[in-house]
This record gives sequence, structure tokens and C-alpha cells, in this order.
Amino acid sequence: MVKAARPTRADYYRALADSLPPQALVVTSLGNASYLWAVLHHAPENFYFEDAMGLALPLALGLAIAQPKRPVIVVEGDGALLMHMGALVTVGAVNPANLTVLLIQNGVHAASGGQALTNAGLDLAQLAVHRELRAPTTSQSRKRSPPSYAPAQRATAPNVSCSRPSRISTLSGLRPCSNRCRPSTAS
Amino acid sequence: MTKSRAERPDVHRPSEILNTLKQLGFGAVVSVPDGWLGEMLVRIEQEPTMRLVRATHEEEALAISCGIRLGGVRAALLVQNAGVLSMGAGMVSLAQRYQFPLLMLVSYRGTPEDPVFYHVPKGRVTEPVFRGIGLSHTCVDRHRPIGPQVEQAATYAEEASCPFALLLSREDVQW
Repeated sequence: MVKAARPTRADYYRALADSLPPQALVVTSLGNASYLWAVLHHAPENFYFEDAMGLALPLALGLAIAQPKRPVIVVEGDGALLMHMGALVTVGAVNPANLTVLLIQNGVHAASGGQALTNAGLDLAQLAVHRELRAPTTSQSRKRSPPSYAPAQRATAPNVSCSRPSRISTLSGLRPCSNRCRPSTAS
Repeated sequence: MTKSRAERPDVHRPSEILNTLKQLGFGAVVSVPDGWLGEMLVRIEQEPTMRLVRATHEEEALAISCGIRLGGVRAALLVQNAGVLSMGAGMVSLAQRYQFPLLMLVSYRGTPEDPVFYHVPKGRVTEPVFRGIGLSHTCVDRHRPIGPQVEQAATYAEEASCPFALLLSREDVQW
């Protein structure tokens, strides 16, 4: 149960961990996306990006191609996605039934100190639709009262448990992390 | 006496590359095309045992290849040298950092044999940049059959657990 009006990444991660399908393979983007998932739901087959910003989504696409019988879930940040928008096009073209993209849309480069994105107001879910991905959205910025994860969870869970076109779920309006999950001077 | 495959002259070097990839069990090729590679990609697409993924950018193609390999399928990259120049960060932070054994088949544009004014700047810096980012590579020997050279490059990538780039000339890849 999410208690905060604006859920944190940890709230979403706990909900994801609770609803993770069997045999799921999880790929997490650099920074907080990886550090926090490692703390909350470490598994030997998790693939944590340490760096290589923007490449979590295409790597997850390759993994989904090679392992078509296993659900693949990639947690990507909005800043990272902006670095390789073309990957959305490739995902749409390949359209793997077993790939779910969970997009953390907080409008900032959180791992490097919270600098604003080039265009934080961009509707990434709509962009994904134009690239032929289905895109249910959970927008807590418009709906501040909890609960929060349920719509995205509904969007995600069916996709990872049965054959459907690849989907992207955007989790927008996240409460920004005040601190990094792991102290680091690198950015 | 029957000559081994290594001793036979190549009839058609692009066909030999494709046959070698099949024999080595490559299940996927990820590519961003150039003028030399176009027909090769069409042929790969027609292969029942191989999957072609057309990426929008070479660094993206690199990451897709890493993911395919992470999933247990052998993958080759088929790109132009300019594409490798643009994938430096992913090369060092992903492919080399996580020791992905990747075969990279790279069309080598802008050499003295390909003196096109807009390719020349790329040809001039290709090998120095490869050395600079620690990318293992070699140029194809046109006087030797191409198949065994592809096989050696793939073996190097596996044994060294790293990407390996084989720089190809026009007659190697243009169908």
C-alpha cells in the first residue's frame, strides 16, 4: 500500500517486486534505478547498468529477442531514454511480446544531482505510442492522492504474463530522491 | 587431394562470410547499413536460422547485440566504421566493461582503396581510434579466404571475452 501522496521510486519498486512474474528477467538503468532495485530485489539474473546511459532499453530488447519465453522488464529513466529515442522505434519494429518498459519519468537527471531534462514536459508515453508501443500511464502529478501503482501494475502484469505487444508504462510525477541510494562522487 | 576450406580460393567473399556465420551458429545479426552492406542484410533476412535486427544507431545496435548475447544467442554486429566511431561510450562502458564477446564486421570506408572525400576523414582515424578505446581489431587479408578470417575473429572475441572488429573491404561485403 502506497502511503505518500506522491509515491517514491521505492514504492513503485516494491509493487513491481510483489507482482514480478516467475522467470522474469529485470534490467535496470544506471544510478538509482540499479542501486535501489539491488537493495529491494536482488537476483543473480538481474542486469544492473552502472553507466552506459541510454542503453538499458536496447540491451533489454536484445535479451527479449534471445529469451522469447521469459518476461523481460527494463526500468529506464526519462533522461536515459532521451539519449537513445531511436531505441523506441526499434522496439516498436521488433515488437517483442515479452518486453515491458517501465519508465521513471521524474523530469530530472537524478543520478547526477537532479539537473532538469532538456524538455521535462515531453509526453514520453505519447511518443511511445507513435512508435507503435502501447503506453498506459500512471500520472501522480495530476492525481496526487494514493494509491499509485495500481494502474501501471494493471498495465504491466498482463503483458509480462501473456503474449501481447511490447508496452511502455510511464510513472510520472515521482517524488525526487533527496539522496542517492548509494553515495558516489561520480555522475 | 581435397583442399581444406582455408586453402580454397573464395568464389564469392560475401557468401563466404554469411556461410561462416551460419556454420559458427550465429543466431542474430544487428546492423545499421551502409552502401556496401545493403544486399548482405537482405540475404541475412532470408536465412531461416538467423535473425536480423535493424537498429537506428550503432551504439544502440551494440547494446542490442549485448542483450542478445546475454540471453545466450551468438550475435554479430554489421556496421560501417563511422558507426564504431560513434559508439565509443557504449563500447567501453557496456561491451568491454561487462566483457561481452562480440564479433563486429565493419565495412572499412575511406581507405586509399575507397577514396571518397566524405569517407576519407573516417578512414584516416578509424584504426587510431580503435586503438585508443582498446578495441581489438584487424584488417582482412584480401589474399586469404575470408571465411577462416571471420572464424578467427569470432574465436578471438570468445577467448578474450571482448568485442573484436574485423575491418572489411568492398569485395568482402558488397554482394
